[in-house]
Amino acid sequence: MMQEYFFELLTEEIPAWMLPHAGLRDQLLALCAEELGVEDESSVSIGATSRRMYFALHSLPEKQTDRTEEVKGPPKRAAYDAEGKPTAALNGFLKKNNAAVADLLESSDDYIRVKRVIAGKSTANILEVRIPQIIEGLRWPKMMHWGDETFTFIRPVHSVISLLNGEVLTLHLLGTQSGRVTVGHRTLSSGPITVSSFADYKEKLRQSKVVISESERESMMRERCGQLAAEVNGTPNEDSSIWSQWRYLTEYPGVVRATFRDEYLSLPEEVLITVMRVHQKQLPIMAGKHLTSSFLAVMDNEGDPDGNAAIGNAFVTNARFADARFFYETDRRRKLAERDQELSHLQFQEKLGDYLVKSLRIEKLARLIGQSAGIDPAAAAVAGRLSKADLVTEMVKEFTDLQGQVGGIYLREEGQPPEVWKAVYDHYLPVSLDGALPRTIEGAIVSLADKADTLAGFFLVGIRPSGSKDPFGLRRAAQGAVQILLNDQLWTLRADVTSLVSSALSQYDRTGGPEVESALLDFVAERVRTVLETERFGLAYDEIAAAMASGWTASLPDLAQRAQAVREIRREKDFLSLLDSAKRISNITAGSEESLLRPELFEHPSEKRLNDLTAIVADQIEELTGDRRYLEALRSFAGLAPELETFFNDVMVMVEDESVKRNRLALLRRVGGLASKIADVTKIVVDRSDYR
Amino acid sequence: MQGLSFQDLILRLQQFWSARGCMLEYPMDLEVGAGTMHPSTFLRVLGPEPWRVAYVQPSRRPADGRYGDNPFRLGKHYQFQVILKPSPLDVQDLYLDSLRALGLDLSRHDIRFEEDNWESPTLGAWGVGWQVLLDGMEITQFTYFQQAGGIDLKPVSAEITYGLERLTMFLARKSSVFDIEWGAGASYGPVRKQEEYEFSKYYFEQASVGLHWKLFEQYEEEARRCLGLDEPLVLPAYDWTLKCSHVFNTLDARGAISVTERVGVIKRVRDLALGCARTYLEARRKLGFPLLSDVRREAISLDVAGSGR
Repeated sequence: MMQEYFFELLTEEIPAWMLPHAGLRDQLLALCAEELGVEDESSVSIGATSRRMYFALHSLPEKQTDRTEEVKGPPKRAAYDAEGKPTAALNGFLKKNNAAVADLLESSDDYIRVKRVIAGKSTANILEVRIPQIIEGLRWPKMMHWGDETFTFIRPVHSVISLLNGEVLTLHLLGTQSGRVTVGHRTLSSGPITVSSFADYKEKLRQSKVVISESERESMMRERCGQLAAEVNGTPNEDSSIWSQWRYLTEYPGVVRATFRDEYLSLPEEVLITVMRVHQKQLPIMAGKHLTSSFLAVMDNEGDPDGNAAIGNAFVTNARFADARFFYETDRRRKLAERDQELSHLQFQEKLGDYLVKSLRIEKLARLIGQSAGIDPAAAAVAGRLSKADLVTEMVKEFTDLQGQVGGIYLREEGQPPEVWKAVYDHYLPVSLDGALPRTIEGAIVSLADKADTLAGFFLVGIRPSGSKDPFGLRRAAQGAVQILLNDQLWTLRADVTSLVSSALSQYDRTGGPEVESALLDFVAERVRTVLETERFGLAYDEIAAAMASGWTASLPDLAQRAQAVREIRREKDFLSLLDSAKRISNITAGSEESLLRPELFEHPSEKRLNDLTAIVADQIEELTGDRRYLEALRSFAGLAPELETFFNDVMVMVEDESVKRNRLALLRRVGGLASKIADVTKIVVDRSDYR
Repeated sequence: MQGLSFQDLILRLQQFWSARGCMLEYPMDLEVGAGTMHPSTFLRVLGPEPWRVAYVQPSRRPADGRYGDNPFRLGKHYQFQVILKPSPLDVQDLYLDSLRALGLDLSRHDIRFEEDNWESPTLGAWGVGWQVLLDGMEITQFTYFQQAGGIDLKPVSAEITYGLERLTMFLARKSSVFDIEWGAGASYGPVRKQEEYEFSKYYFEQASVGLHWKLFEQYEEEARRCLGLDEPLVLPAYDWTLKCSHVFNTLDARGAISVTERVGVIKRVRDLALGCARTYLEARRKLGFPLLSDVRREAISLDVAGSGR
């Protein structure tokens, strides 16, 4: 008979962001698969609310299947005496394994072997040992002690249900003995609930106002949000992070709509939205593009019959906004440009000085970047100089995630032109691989300058990311810089990575020598690969490697185009012959010295034909490359393949006559070098079956 | 419920916790930033002695002052502090009952316990817990102390800190703290607004920076001296430590402490707090942990002897 196991751990409220404890599901799946022979993923149902974790294991066998294993005994020659009778060694071995001579296995080696049956343990047995181990072994981000107890867990544990086929399977864990009793919702139900199975649990908890499934809670909340927003002709300003929090904040998935005072709508919208979303975990309601004074909040209750939750949420949001207005008014008494003294007290990094000197470096670097890209750098330089001033405003001290945005808003209100304030506003962008880029080229310049300066500084003092450790976000900084340099919509910022890196390094007093520069370039190259492999570019690692082999630092958009051309050409049916020819050339010319091509030494018509054709193709490729028509250039290169094949069929390259041989190698080098400014196609890894 | 005044609220809480075995203490008679700094919390949570106490603590936070202009924020507010040591397993239920005792029908409200861990760098103390949200509003800080004065705590104490003004405001449906009724017909504004204004003005604009630095040095020196005596005087030392802490908060609000200095000054206060915690625990040990039951004392002294500490 198949068995079902059900477990519930009732605790005090567990932090929402730590749920679900993914580690638990994996451990249960492993337990089912490895110890009970149940491989099916659907054998584990698991879930959590704000204060309980539960799981059911389905389709469990009654016991592990018996196993047999071979046991190795004494050497055959020691097993029988001269008369062929079992020795003491053999008898001892048989006795130990409860076997007779007749049970001995045929074995091909020199040892006696016998089969031993190991009886499977009962499922109950396994669970009563393993479940406490698994639960007590869960590692939470922050563990605690409570009362007079010696053990730790995420929050104090109240009770445990452990039922195997409806019978209590007694467990001892975390100071509790398991039973079959739990409780329902804290305030909407009362009294103990006795549970007989997983199905019974679901049903009884629902009656006690606990919706145990997180996905069900989420969909109930989403639906309610839509309704409540529609009632005031708006839509919820959703983002996915809200749901991952909300679904674990309650036991009953309630939502309430509240309204803050209209007077706060005069504060910058970004501030209001951040306060609601990040600090209050509330969902603003938008009417079109504009914020309304209505918002949504989570509530662990079915309804709000007296309007208490609406009043409470309005109260607390009004209080937050009153604070925000205090910061806003305090900050605006002084311009951002007048905060150098405070900036000089704010440390950027111990060995790299304060934010005032960082601002000055960003200003200089922004100017250099602008100049070499052929853009008037004045606005970017001003923005760079002011970019960090908001770090010492009260608003950013309180709402740190608004850095940059607050600076931009304040500068806008000080009357700075859009090129300046937008650049400051956006200069932390992009914050992720698919995140938005700065809206303006000035923003891109300041962002790039800031990131390059940070990278240069940290590399100079020897702080580099290692493994998963990157406490200063250097990978993200480099990635952001690469994303900016790769962009070709709205604006294009032309910059040579090598000179950017050396300019950024030269802003510092200390020097790190060529090692630092090349380490930083390698670090950026690694990020270039990462970004080009994202969905947006969709390039494969070998396509990127092929294009990077022809150089990458001069222009990243150009690199992307060349890699894209490689991606296209590899799909064409002639590609295999192109690749074979290129590889053949590369193999045969490897290690040979450069030499001048002398047409008068050609002996075979194929040589001459290849040479003539190469000259034509070279002209074509040069022209196409100049127009950045890399795919056509590669096609033109591929067009040489048949002629090359003829050449290899007709002509022996490695002949005795040294001058003829050198001349043929020179010809091949010339052919091989035709596409060298675009890509090294020999880096492409192919599955030949694709071309059949 | 609608009519509960500030003082009625305090009376009800005192009555409630007194009935649940808490001793009623009185506020620390020095400027402190929170009820946690009262010796009845910071020192009493150390060591094995059981302790159940409840008291009101006026809490001064110079940087939180808003000149009496902000209807939600005060430079001085009142906390109702409960310490239950060791933390009982039904502490959340006890707490919810205390809200019921204030007249709340919890089935008609939203009550949630949201993660909010507490850490005080100046006290070398931390704990885990929640902020309790009543209808989305933080009314209580709930903490299981894990460490105080750098010392691991066993048993663990539960600390419940009610924000009295907020709770009164909400229960009375007032949109400004200055409109709540204190008691006997007096409202909070006329009683406290002048103080809020004057202390905001003082802490933000007038406090003498030179004098406060001097005071800080002197208080610190005296605290150290008390701790360094052959027969250390830990309770006086702790008073001076609290004074240091308040002077630090004043200088901070005044904008007189740079970011670089800040870490150093916090460390100086923490060193004092750590010294006080160690010395207090030692003093209690010498006294034989007077609040322990004889049975527990015996078990603990055996334990201590056994572990060789």
